Amino acid sequence: MPCPSKPRLLLLLPTATYRATAFVETARRLGIELTVASELPSTFEHAQPDRLVTLDFSDPERAAEQAAEFARRHPVAGVVGVDDDGAVVAAVIAGRLGLRGNPPAAALAARDKHVQRRELARHGVPVPRFELHGLDEDANALAARARYPCVLKPLRLAASRGVIRADDPRGFAAAFERLTRIVEQAGCSRSILVEDFVPGPEVALEGLVIDGRLEVLGLFDKPDPLDGPFFEETIYVTPSRLPAPAQRALIRCGEAAVAALGVREGPIHAELRYNAQGPWLIELAARPIGGRCSAVLRFQNREKGEGRGGTFSLEELIIRHALGMPLPVLEREQRAAGVMMIPVPGAGVLREVRGITAARAVPLVEDVAITAHPGEALVPWPEGSRYPGFIFARGETPEAVEGALRAAHGRLTFVMQ
Amino acid sequence: MSSAEIRITAEPIDNGRCKFLVSEPVHDGGVRRFASPQEASGSPLVEAIFAIPGAEVAEVIVSGNLVTVVKRSAAPWQVIGKPVGAAIRSALAGDRPAVAPKPAAPVAAGGADDDTLYDRVAELFDSQVNPMVARHGGRVELIDVQDAVVMLRMAGGCQGCGMADVTLRQGIEAMLQQAVPEVKGIVDITDHTAGANPYFAASKK
Repeated sequence: MPCPSKPRLLLLLPTATYRATAFVETARRLGIELTVASELPSTFEHAQPDRLVTLDFSDPERAAEQAAEFARRHPVAGVVGVDDDGAVVAAVIAGRLGLRGNPPAAALAARDKHVQRRELARHGVPVPRFELHGLDEDANALAARARYPCVLKPLRLAASRGVIRADDPRGFAAAFERLTRIVEQAGCSRSILVEDFVPGPEVALEGLVIDGRLEVLGLFDKPDPLDGPFFEETIYVTPSRLPAPAQRALIRCGEAAVAALGVREGPIHAELRYNAQGPWLIELAARPIGGRCSAVLRFQNREKGEGRGGTFSLEELIIRHALGMPLPVLEREQRAAGVMMIPVPGAGVLREVRGITAARAVPLVEDVAITAHPGEALVPWPEGSRYPGFIFARGETPEAVEGALRAAHGRLTFVMQ
Repeated sequence: MSSAEIRITAEPIDNGRCKFLVSEPVHDGGVRRFASPQEASGSPLVEAIFAIPGAEVAEVIVSGNLVTVVKRSAAPWQVIGKPVGAAIRSALAGDRPAVAPKPAAPVAAGGADDDTLYDRVAELFDSQVNPMVARHGGRVELIDVQDAVVMLRMAGGCQGCGMADVTLRQGIEAMLQQAVPEVKGIVDITDHTAGANPYFAASKK
């Protein structure tokens, strides 16, 4: 029987997540009671009703009702959402159950790109100039009055799916038509943002918000230029090689965005750009970094005797924070680290991936994780949003890490049917 | 075949566990699990893995062409994987079997020996676990029980499924704890990267 003295975490895991193993194994190591909630039922739910539960992620209020009903039988001490929808549901549940979490309005603003832009602009956070439009509007009329270069993006799709740059009216019309198909296929809102393209290097900021204060866990450079026309990400490397003043400005911008959106608790993942005009907040999500990328972050444990070799994973920090457990000093390890989200090699059905062993043999490479399975249809951006795998490396310098990631990628061959 | 021609693919599960898929069979006599250097005595491959400096190896499981290593140290698999690979190549090139045959089943703590536990776990898998995972096109094979630790392999919709670890820990392990409390642990020896038809494929960033 579960020990009632152990705190119970309600973990909101969408069934399409990459994150199950990282969170579930961390919860086991911490010895907490874990209940996994998903939007679709597990086949074991009836057999293990205290460990598995189905929540309606599409309706946060209903999900909170379901969670409250569950919590009456099995008291819950903390709630964590791992993706954009889960973050909103977690916020509503936290409010209903009196747990540590974000105000629902903050989570909603972080999920919806238009609401987010509006709130950030209202609070003076630098964001690209933007307009909200409907897909039923006349594309040619919009194209005639747009400022170029611009970016068209859906309001809620993740991983830059559907995000397209247009450099002229003709490109705008083509992007509009393509984005319309993507949005219709995804079944999401028929509104889109049209915003100025912001030139300059892009960074990702990973952080943990504690009582409204942003603790920066990592600032990642994205050394491959994200200039479009599509915005599939590739390499993240930390620490950043940007000048220290630029890094400080980016962090201040992230702090301002957290305050503007009203984010109070939990992980954030923000994307920012920097150019001669200073930092720009592109997007902020009230969730941790996605995919398998969190494996690149390790945090030092300065307290002796804490075990497991003295490092913490991002998942452990997130769970500890949600449950009010003691946190270590939030300092990333000294070594440089990086991850490559392996680019989709082209449209088609994957037959096999060759060269994995050779890629793993590249010095500094820690792992090559192929997450696409044989027979899977690979879909390039902007229609796609799934990377076929991830490469991880760690070394003394960001340059060495980036070189190792590129070398390992160069040894992989994707064989398509 | 020379040791240089043996291909070994490392598949880290997390920083503590890693599977090594070997192009040649390592041990044909079912699954063997070793939880200490003493248990490894007589199995050159496992002796060598336990002896890797700085790895603090806690457990080695060998089955067919799969070697699963569990370590306590924080050293990355990039560092530990190389001596593991060397140990595998060296053992396969040697004159003695890399892994000794399984000895007679010892009696586990609490009086239930592994054979008895195997039968009870197999009954649970047949009567409850597999009918449940079958709803998602999955199948769970009981490979062995050693020292009260259950070794299993997932197939069908479970193999490579994004929620496989949820099924394993929140479903199967929990059922085992309730129905066969003498079971001390559960080890998944599935090669999830080879799953061709996972029920849930990860797609969100």
